[in-house]
Amino acid sequence: MKDKVSMQVTPTENTLSLRLADFNNLSEALDYAAKGVTGCNFYRRGKLSFVLPYEKLREDSISIARRLSGLGLKRGSRVALIADTDPDFLRFFFACQYAGLVPVPMPAFVNMGGHKAYVSQLNRLVSICGASVAIAPKAFSSFLVEAVKTLDLSFTGTPSDFLKLPESKEDLKPLDGVEPAYIQYTSGSTRFPRGAVISQASVISNLAEIGAYGLKIGRTDRSVSWLPFYHDMGLVGFVLGPVAFQRSVDYLSTYDFAVRPRQWLTIISENHATISIGPPFGYELSARCIKEDDITSLDLSSWRCAGIGAEMIRAEQMEDFAKIFAPCGFKKTAFVACYGMAECSLAVSFSALNRGLELDCVDADELALKNRAVPCDSTQKASDHNIKTFVKCGKPLPQYEIEVRDSRGAVLPERHCGLLFLRGPSIMSEYFGDPETTAEVLSPDGWLNTGDLAYITSDGDIVITGRKKDLIIIKGRNIWPQDLECLAQLQPEVRSGGVAAFSVPGPDGSEMAAMMVECRQPDKEKRHEIKERLKRMVFEEFGIDCVICLVSRNVLPRTTSGKLSRSEARKRFLDRVGTTYLTKTDVDLYKQAI
Amino acid sequence: MGVKSDYQDILNKLYEIVTPFIDEGIDLELNEDTELGPDLGLDSLKVMKLLLIVEDSFDVSIPLNILPDVRTIKDFAKQLEALLQEEL
Repeated sequence: MKDKVSMQVTPTENTLSLRLADFNNLSEALDYAAKGVTGCNFYRRGKLSFVLPYEKLREDSISIARRLSGLGLKRGSRVALIADTDPDFLRFFFACQYAGLVPVPMPAFVNMGGHKAYVSQLNRLVSICGASVAIAPKAFSSFLVEAVKTLDLSFTGTPSDFLKLPESKEDLKPLDGVEPAYIQYTSGSTRFPRGAVISQASVISNLAEIGAYGLKIGRTDRSVSWLPFYHDMGLVGFVLGPVAFQRSVDYLSTYDFAVRPRQWLTIISENHATISIGPPFGYELSARCIKEDDITSLDLSSWRCAGIGAEMIRAEQMEDFAKIFAPCGFKKTAFVACYGMAECSLAVSFSALNRGLELDCVDADELALKNRAVPCDSTQKASDHNIKTFVKCGKPLPQYEIEVRDSRGAVLPERHCGLLFLRGPSIMSEYFGDPETTAEVLSPDGWLNTGDLAYITSDGDIVITGRKKDLIIIKGRNIWPQDLECLAQLQPEVRSGGVAAFSVPGPDGSEMAAMMVECRQPDKEKRHEIKERLKRMVFEEFGIDCVICLVSRNVLPRTTSGKLSRSEARKRFLDRVGTTYLTKTDVDLYKQAI
Repeated sequence: MGVKSDYQDILNKLYEIVTPFIDEGIDLELNEDTELGPDLGLDSLKVMKLLLIVEDSFDVSIPLNILPDVRTIKDFAKQLEALLQEEL
């Protein structure tokens, strides 16, 4: 496709009257946005590299949709898209909407040395979603081609290869109503992926409430995002949201952000953006990398909604960010705590706007022993360490019914901690092709088990206290313990079922991964080699450091039914090291102890 | 870079850049086969920090898609050599 690049960002103010996602489906949302002057803008290494007004996006998408139709695929067939932060992802995503095909975003992030792991991840995802078409940007096409070698697809290639196909003359019938809008694979693990199927009606209902109640979108709003397009917040929040609200958005890639975090704030400053959301570590990283000169040159006064989500929020960390950037006009009242998940399209709740983070201090002993969140006076905080402080995540969006239940399923009163259940139109239809896993989390009457532990305050605010599912979250990325365990169990020296992975507090209070492995190898040197091998494998697949602890056979705690208990293993691990909160030296201590 | 850097120069410069990333207390002599991840204990954020320094000191843009094939210092030097060639 020949693109005429006009190198000026699309304007913030639109010529259209504002509609907050009151559409029937995503293609209608783009049809309307295309009548205005807003669009999306791509930055590369700090410079504006491509401008794509919605008008042009619609035109390109329809032309691709006609080519997709020409392939003669069954309606609802899946199209795998390697979701790099580039205009082609948007073009193909919307093309699928017009052509009646279901886009499935795939990760475009690779770890150093992770060639094999990435290819097998792609292979698994493309085959499990039964994709008929797979598209990768040029930079990723060699991995994709290698990944689909053994699979039978109608088309595999780059966007420019695809554009050589002929256009069909048939009328386009866009996806609508209960038909899927997309399948989101971020919620599952890499080895046992779970694809949340989100219908048109679900994603539209979520966007409408995000616009009207969560973020209260107005005519002067503009967003900036570095979140990956294959992530629910990146996709729904910053690709679909801006289209559904007809707002301009500026993108930089996650990789660009990770290498030069300052660019995020520079774009917000230059374009007077009002909305940007990220996980806590994104804020932390920016605060850490900023230089004196930057502070004087940045203007963050326009940023009215600095959303924080995707992992547990530590208030002190956010305070630090606010303090550092106060001279740039950053207001700490701009912080908005966000809670959501891919199974709910995206958003469940937002804390109240213009208020900043609100804390709830509770008696830690009551919480640990009786699961009750008894409020404490926050002024005691310094003197009394039996207080636990949580960030309130706000009231659920109006569509949700919400219940906190105990382990037997009884509904608990306010300020009692239990499992959080939700019901509402934004909730997924199913996990794709997996009725068993779907039934585990979604009841026939529509209640979703979030897997999160929470309580509700008397004002109706949701407070998340932890996760029942044993997820390990590192730098905003979900790592599933079973993925780490699976890696270890592939080793000949490791007994199947003899591995437990879990998260432990790392230096500075953030999480780090640890794994206890039952190993029958007695030789010291060989044990060392196994540990090194496991560390390398974990690194290549997940890009994280993992503490590996080899133990003798039958040492790991098991439940009465013989199942391995991760939480018990974690407890023993921490007891062994003798500390709950690790400092840098404690990490060394960890490493020595094992 | 105006002149063609030969492999050995790139390697030496890489050793220089990587050295501060070695955790204190780790006794490690860098060589071509040193693995950047497991040997140096680099997590993904430290990798990004390393990339920033490498990009700045070699004045080259490192595309994300070369990373999966970079395991050792030698791999990295070879990729850099190719990138610098391309830019000439």
